[in-house]
Amino acid sequence: MLNNIFLKTLRDQRRSLLYWGIGLIALAVVMALVYPMIKGMPSINQYLKELPASMKEMFGAGIVDYTSPVGYFSTELFSFMVPLLFLVFGIGFGASAIAGDEEKGTLGFLLANPVPRWRIVVDKFGVMMGSMVMLGLLFWVGLAISVAAIGIKISLLNVAEATISVMALALVFGSFSFLLGCLKGNKGMSLGITSGLAVLTYLLNTLGSIVNGLKDYRFLSPFYHYMEPNTLANGLSPVHILILLGLVVVFFAFSIPAFNRRDIAV
Amino acid sequence: MNNDIIINTTKLTKYYGNQKGIEEVNLEVKRGEVFGYLGPNGAGKTTTIRTLLDFIRPTRGSATIFDLDIRQSSVEIHGRVGYLNGELALWNNMTGEDLLKYLGNLRGGLDWKYVQELAGRFECDLPRRIQGLSLGNKQKLGLLQAFMNKPELIILDEPTNGLDPLMQHEFYNLLSETKQEGRTVFLSSHILPEVEKVCDRVGIIRQGKLVTVEAIETLKSHSVRQLEIHFAKAVPKENFSQLSGVRNVVVQDKLLTCNVVGSLDAMVKAAAAFEVVNIISHEPTLEEIFLTYYDEVKNNVK
Repeated sequence: MLNNIFLKTLRDQRRSLLYWGIGLIALAVVMALVYPMIKGMPSINQYLKELPASMKEMFGAGIVDYTSPVGYFSTELFSFMVPLLFLVFGIGFGASAIAGDEEKGTLGFLLANPVPRWRIVVDKFGVMMGSMVMLGLLFWVGLAISVAAIGIKISLLNVAEATISVMALALVFGSFSFLLGCLKGNKGMSLGITSGLAVLTYLLNTLGSIVNGLKDYRFLSPFYHYMEPNTLANGLSPVHILILLGLVVVFFAFSIPAFNRRDIAV
Repeated sequence: MNNDIIINTTKLTKYYGNQKGIEEVNLEVKRGEVFGYLGPNGAGKTTTIRTLLDFIRPTRGSATIFDLDIRQSSVEIHGRVGYLNGELALWNNMTGEDLLKYLGNLRGGLDWKYVQELAGRFECDLPRRIQGLSLGNKQKLGLLQAFMNKPELIILDEPTNGLDPLMQHEFYNLLSETKQEGRTVFLSSHILPEVEKVCDRVGIIRQGKLVTVEAIETLKSHSVRQLEIHFAKAVPKENFSQLSGVRNVVVQDKLLTCNVVGSLDAMVKAAAAFEVVNIISHEPTLEEIFLTYYDEVKNNVK
């Protein structure tokens, strides 16, 4: 585990990944266990119909039947809770990937070695991608097993695709905070700016669905490209997922020159 | 091309915004010497080192290490340089052994037997987690990783921070072995006796400017010594006050005190005309030399 920066960084993440994995699996299991109770309460649909439009949007666009498996899991997991958790992980990792080592002063050890700077960026970014995939996989496995065990009828492929879109959304913000860390080396600043941006773009998308003046700008929000296709029901939408992944690629590509150029404060 | 110049800086300048880091530093460090980089805190020692290692980029000027440009060839240079940073920070969640293996792997070709030998000499507890180590024990790990690959050049920023006297002594031994093997050491320090003890040459930096570079011996010979001569009987002041290199002569009955620049010869010969009971010479510390240089600089500025 100590052969290169990628493995060492992954090693540093092992505890964190373990706890995040346990948390995500637990969430999947609990939500699946609750579903049979919801299924027997069709009156909930009536209640939801009476909600104001903005709140409906928060529960997920175009959810008709809350008591169906797709409606339930879209609302309970994929419209808020799971993206939130992945976002927290992604933004946190991205912010500390470079800036964390820089603030601690340990980045000097890496830089003093015969390792080019771009290699540090690539390895750390690789660990962020890898961790995200690992967490996504754990979450999917947790949900798939519980759904199968309880006998809930939902396409596991669609669950996988919805999980992939969550990962893509989280990577957009993760790679943005990563880029800020490469640019300025300030962990708190990266965390703050990226979290603020996440909240703003989230609001842009949800409010944009009801406020007419904002409607034309919803496409600027990564949340729009995540929510709009309703992936759990319809599968991945190539356009929307490519937009999300495109942003990830752009932020990653800018990270390398950003870090290469800068004076490092260690 | 000159194989015997290991570090060469030309008008190396670094500003942080409007703040001055270092200004027009011209420095040559030769193969096989221990070069001391001396100055008070904030003088620009660390800035120079970070620039040499390409952590920060010069505002003006250039530098080479092993005749390689510090900007263009930083990766190759890093492969041949051992480095210890001044404000040592280590990954707390590792053991010392893991740390050294990791850094060794990043470089390749680590001789673990040599690491163990060094660890034995410095009494390092390698299997312990770094988190629980004292400042001195962390510093020893820092020294180990700088020396363990037997690099051609070792750059040390305040290397004896937190070391107890015994370990300092061991470190000085390691320095002289390194030198005997023809390898080069560049160390920064604000501790004058240390530089005096281990360095061949010293560069004095102050407020970002290199004030002087001298061999330790030369530095001392330029220096002002305080002399006390106790005579058997009272002596006439005129016999001494006109001597070359002698200043501030004060005669109080049988006791003469004065400052002598450079050689004591004239003073001793003049004193020999009388019966001398005792001569006390205060060897100048680098601190005094330091101050002399600073005064000169100040006076020149005026």
